[in-house]
Amino acid sequence: MEITKKEVNSVAVLSLKGRLDLASGAGLKDEIKALMDKENNLIHLSLADVDFINSSGLGVLVSIMKDIRLHKGRLTLSDLASYVQEIFEITQLSHIFEIFTSESEALASYQSVSAS
Amino acid sequence: MTTYSFIYLSVLDSEEKMLSDLAFILTENNIVNPERYEFMLVISEAFTNALLHGNQLNPQKKIYLQVTINKKQLIADIIDEGELGLKEIQTKKPSELYGSNGRGIDLIRHYANHAGFTEAENGGTKVSIVMERKLEEITF
Repeated sequence: MEITKKEVNSVAVLSLKGRLDLASGAGLKDEIKALMDKENNLIHLSLADVDFINSSGLGVLVSIMKDIRLHKGRLTLSDLASYVQEIFEITQLSHIFEIFTSESEALASYQSVSAS
Repeated sequence: MTTYSFIYLSVLDSEEKMLSDLAFILTENNIVNPERYEFMLVISEAFTNALLHGNQLNPQKKIYLQVTINKKQLIADIIDEGELGLKEIQTKKPSELYGSNGRGIDLIRHYANHAGFTEAENGGTKVSIVMERKLEEITF
């Protein structure tokens, strides 16, 4: 899996490409840990180019979310393909993740939170 | 009808290799999303189970995958050489919303039209999957 990073208004934006599964999940966890070590706890994951995710990948995302919330940060997701969105709904994870239609919509939500 | 057989070592890298092999044969048979994704997901869940819970990442033990594709069905058997995999499946508790694992069997049962979990001839666990093809309806 390829990970591209950028920062937008203090939010770390990671764009993921490829498969998110047992093997690739460890790499994502390492990337997030490196960000949190630098006290960057506002993290957005764009899944537009994720063409496959299984329960191991979902487990990695849950683990990351718990770590970020433990450090009083925030994790958002966006641009899920319809079949990826479906497994979030089947597993009911859509209830515990903040999922946005687009990256811009997700990033705007950080601005509205900081403004209020 | 076409049948493909693969054998993998029980190491983490095997999952990527298996998914690449599966993607190749699905492309070869013109199987597209969402059918493609759902079949890959179900096989990957059974494979991960065999890798971690059945063979417990023991590189001496192998995972056998057989895939049959015909006009009506996608069929797969995933067999490991472990001793504890079947018991873990049979005694599985419902997955927890904030848990990091335990969703794989639920996803198999959701997407597969038939999912059988039995003891293989070698003493390992055999997961048998059948998914009905989503054929386009012919309208007149």
